[in-house]
Amino acid sequence: MILRFRSRWIVLIVGLILSITLTGIAYGALGDRLLGRGSSGPDVQEMQKGLAQLGYGVGPIDGKFGTKTEAAIRNFQKDHGIKVDGLAGTKTISELKRLTGQSTNASGKAIGYKNVDINLLAHAVNGEARGEPYLGQVAVAAVILNRISDPAFPKTIADIIYQPGAFSSVNDGQINLSPTASSLRAAQEAASGVDPSKGALFFFNPAKTTNKYIWSRPELVKIGNHIFTK
Amino acid sequence: MHKRIWIGTLAVALLISLGWGINEYRLAGDYRLASENNSRRAFSDFASHLDQMETVMAKGNVANTPNQQIYYLSEVSSKSEGALKDYSQLPADQAGLSYIGQFLTQSGDFTRTLAQKVAGGGTITADDTKTLQAMHDQLIPVNQKVQTLMSRIDTENLAWTDPGPSLRQKLGFGGPQIAEAAADGSEASSKSVRSGLDQLDASLQKLPPFTYTGEYSSRVVQKPLGLPTGQVNKTQAQSAARSFLTKVGYADAAPGFVGETNGDFKGYSWKYKDAYLEISRQGGVVTLYRDQRSINPRTLSIDDAAQRAKKILTTLGWNLVITSSEDFGSYVEFDAVAEQNGVRLYPDKVRLMVALDNGQLVGLDAAPYYAFHHTRTFPAKITMNQAVQKLRTNFKIQESRLAVIAKSGNQEIYAYEFRGRYQGEDYLIYLNAQNGTEEKIQRIIKTPRGEYLQ
Repeated sequence: MILRFRSRWIVLIVGLILSITLTGIAYGALGDRLLGRGSSGPDVQEMQKGLAQLGYGVGPIDGKFGTKTEAAIRNFQKDHGIKVDGLAGTKTISELKRLTGQSTNASGKAIGYKNVDINLLAHAVNGEARGEPYLGQVAVAAVILNRISDPAFPKTIADIIYQPGAFSSVNDGQINLSPTASSLRAAQEAASGVDPSKGALFFFNPAKTTNKYIWSRPELVKIGNHIFTK
Repeated sequence: MHKRIWIGTLAVALLISLGWGINEYRLAGDYRLASENNSRRAFSDFASHLDQMETVMAKGNVANTPNQQIYYLSEVSSKSEGALKDYSQLPADQAGLSYIGQFLTQSGDFTRTLAQKVAGGGTITADDTKTLQAMHDQLIPVNQKVQTLMSRIDTENLAWTDPGPSLRQKLGFGGPQIAEAAADGSEASSKSVRSGLDQLDASLQKLPPFTYTGEYSSRVVQKPLGLPTGQVNKTQAQSAARSFLTKVGYADAAPGFVGETNGDFKGYSWKYKDAYLEISRQGGVVTLYRDQRSINPRTLSIDDAAQRAKKILTTLGWNLVITSSEDFGSYVEFDAVAEQNGVRLYPDKVRLMVALDNGQLVGLDAAPYYAFHHTRTFPAKITMNQAVQKLRTNFKIQESRLAVIAKSGNQEIYAYEFRGRYQGEDYLIYLNAQNGTEEKIQRIIKTPRGEYLQ
């Protein structure tokens, strides 16, 4: 009895170890197999890179499908109309590949990601308005873009964001955090012309600001914790 | 015995912390020097660009042949861009509206517009000359003051920004703070580069603005042209919000009041479940709508969604054509524009977001439409054939139509739109419908989400 019980366990354990090592060895390109909790290999790493690029934090990019990677996959699936199951199957991987691909010209030649400015804008949105409602994030990005078309400000996104004293997230280094998916989306939306800030040039958190100049500007709209002014 | 060990350990600890301290101090010094060098580079470059700008502006004033005029005017605009870039990197405690920035932007903008005018066969009018000279007259003192600051950095060891109150002052001893003296923009000698620049800014603010036509000529936003007439009150706005919500699939919705918005579109904002919408005071129409509900797995294709978008447009009472789509996975974004006598009015744009789980509208931005929509009067035009003749040979036309496009500085152009391919790249080329001049070129690229115009 005892022996049989033991041997059953041994078979189970050996089987488990074998299947784990085999999945580790038998990896191919990303999309060749179903990835889930416990998977590892270069294809998982590639997937993690893609997720991070789109703003879904996976922790360290180590090629191991852990809890953080699973949470990122779930969020990605939720945002992209895919059934939320935490597993990276064909649909999830192909959507990920589609969105992380390069832009092409009419004859199909890859010409880069074409998102340099959006990326910096998303960093600023992430640093300034991480906890704000989505429209408030779009509005923060819109303020930066409104400054470009105002004569009194510098004319590039980088010059505006890194102008000394312009944004507190530059001073405390929060701008360097990886942008979230929502900040990236907000930056894209503002760049495509949506402006919930109503043409604002400044925004501030009334609970944290004593600056007289900024309080003296006319209020346009309040979204979340930010007042947007001109 | 024990005592000795203790003394020894403490001495070693002291030595280690001392070494660590010295190392940190040197590192901090390195960083300070790197940042000081960067500030000095920016300031020297700023002063140098201003100086060169002053010179080329003087030359631009006297140049009399189109070639030389174009050359010097373009130089002014490029130097002003450089100066603005350097200026925006100078140390500051806080950034606000900058009149130095405005002056640089406008003089660059004006000279660029003028250079384009001359390049297009135009001439510099007496008014242009006057404006150019006025700009030059303002530039000279700006240049002088910046050079004075430059030399004071060396002679008076001027700091970049005003020092904060010292500990003594904070505790209430000591005299008044120095920063107060210069705050009224008087000519009291500045204590830092920043306060010197602030004084310059204040003196520029007092001068009258330039009058010219260009991209940055004025900051006055046009009144919305497309809003229906009549004002609505809060109650009427709420019923407008309710009727809109019913049309997009939320029957019996009770929108709650969020706040009032100012600016180009004064209005009332409302909230219902995860949806947010704004109703304009003038006309009582929805200018912005966004539903942040979670979207279920996708069941619709982009074509299905486009059909839904058309239906939604009709339900909301709009007669628009869909011009582009962008696929975001859980929803698709469509741009739709108005047409008048078959002419596409690109400025009069509405953006819709259609959820791919059930085809419901989850986003609407009608602000551009209401800002620009009005009945246009079209001037006499050249024929399509004449326009085609103006295109580059080997440009293979795929689509063509008449359109109104926006140009910088709130201008509109009545143009022929040609979509076509040249050497493996797709472009949209816009030729002025009145005289056939090339007004705008856009390159079409394919991003992961759809076609994109650059």
